[in-house]
Amino acid sequence: MSIREEKWNEIKQEYHTHNMNEEQVDHMKKNIQKAKKDQRHIIRTIAAAAAAAAIIITILPNTSKSAAYAMSRIPILSKWVEVVTFRDYQYDDERHTADINVPEIKTDPKTDSPAGETIQKTAEEINAEIDSISKQLIEEFEENAKDQEGYQDMIVTSEVIATTEKYFTLKLICYQGAGSGAEWDYFYTINLETGERLALKDLFQKNSDYMTPINESITAQMKSQMASDENIVYWIDSDIPEWNFKTISDETGFYLNEKEELVICFNEGDVAPMYMGCVEFVIPKEALASIWAE
Amino acid sequence: MGLLPWKKTKAKTVEDLLLTNYNQYFRLAYSYVHNDDDAGDIVQNAAYKAIKNCSQLKETQYAATWLYRIVINEIFTFYGQKKTEPLEDAEELPQEDSYEDIDLKLALNSLPLEDKMIVELKYFEDMKLEEIAAILDLNINTVKSRLYRSLKKLRLMLEEDGINTDSALCHKVHKNT
Repeated sequence: MSIREEKWNEIKQEYHTHNMNEEQVDHMKKNIQKAKKDQRHIIRTIAAAAAAAAIIITILPNTSKSAAYAMSRIPILSKWVEVVTFRDYQYDDERHTADINVPEIKTDPKTDSPAGETIQKTAEEINAEIDSISKQLIEEFEENAKDQEGYQDMIVTSEVIATTEKYFTLKLICYQGAGSGAEWDYFYTINLETGERLALKDLFQKNSDYMTPINESITAQMKSQMASDENIVYWIDSDIPEWNFKTISDETGFYLNEKEELVICFNEGDVAPMYMGCVEFVIPKEALASIWAE
Repeated sequence: MGLLPWKKTKAKTVEDLLLTNYNQYFRLAYSYVHNDDDAGDIVQNAAYKAIKNCSQLKETQYAATWLYRIVINEIFTFYGQKKTEPLEDAEELPQEDSYEDIDLKLALNSLPLEDKMIVELKYFEDMKLEEIAAILDLNINTVKSRLYRSLKKLRLMLEEDGINTDSALCHKVHKNT
């Protein structure tokens, strides 16, 4: 071994002799706890803002003409399908808070519509999925609550987006704050004419490539939004290629708005930094007209 | 959906990384500031910022890289305040005929900030070039060529992976004689 290599090994060894002392490690641990508390404060503020937003949504049918109109156009919904709270789990100690309202879709089995039987099966299937998600979350919450050091908030709630005669959509909203806070949602759509659960591909002609035009529309919208507002950031052409938005999948959330336009929904952090929240993209009808199923 | 695990553990992941790797961050900081107190402060600040801002972390799988970036940012910020930048260029070091007299450590410390970090992460922390590229937010080829250049300056012939060893460019250390 040359002198230079020996010297190099000495430097390497010396590099590894520097370690934090006990006092510094203790100080760091305190800093971590302090940061968590400060973080929690931020979560609280977000949660309060979310609650305020929810109130606005509830009063919408009474104040907005178009929303009221949309509701009146779907009387069938109240006959067959309604959403009730199936499980209500509340927990609150100094550090851990849970407000979990698990929805359940109820259908009227006496309905004489041919879709009646199917819709009941579909509802049972969706209810089972929601039940399993909420059970998993409650389990997770209880596991975390054993940790006397940590903090966490968990909120599960739901919203009905029933804007057309044809489709009924239930949105399951999950929020978890444990140091960081994140919201993610599940969308369940039932085709009221057939009673079947609607998958994204069902909206399109068989074997058509619907993902490409949707992806292209989303990419174009991301770019134009970013160009017009510097506060808007999506993971596209970013420094970290593996984060970039490439394609939607069959698991990507979606629903149909009152104009029967497809709305694609992403969870927090999926296609944009967490502070952007859950983001939605309305895909213009003309982009999909040639492959639309009807 | 596979969503829940990483949603839950983001802060915990960062905390665990901090508690496991704090000496790695400390060593790296120490190699720049050369004293325990300042190196300690750098790690303290990085720990606080990382936990407080961990909602900006996209996925836990990137947590280690993300955390390193925060630490490095703290080191460079500290360095900027202290105005003790090293010599930008080590080209003026004596040529090879007198290499035994060169203080290798001085040469290492004379490398540009990032170049020195590349060398330290590669050879002292045994990191892969891809990891270093991710941490420093550089293209992997940039990391390779900078590492190459640094080795040339240090006149070291070390074990490399992913680098096309070209002895014409790298001053070879004589193994025997």
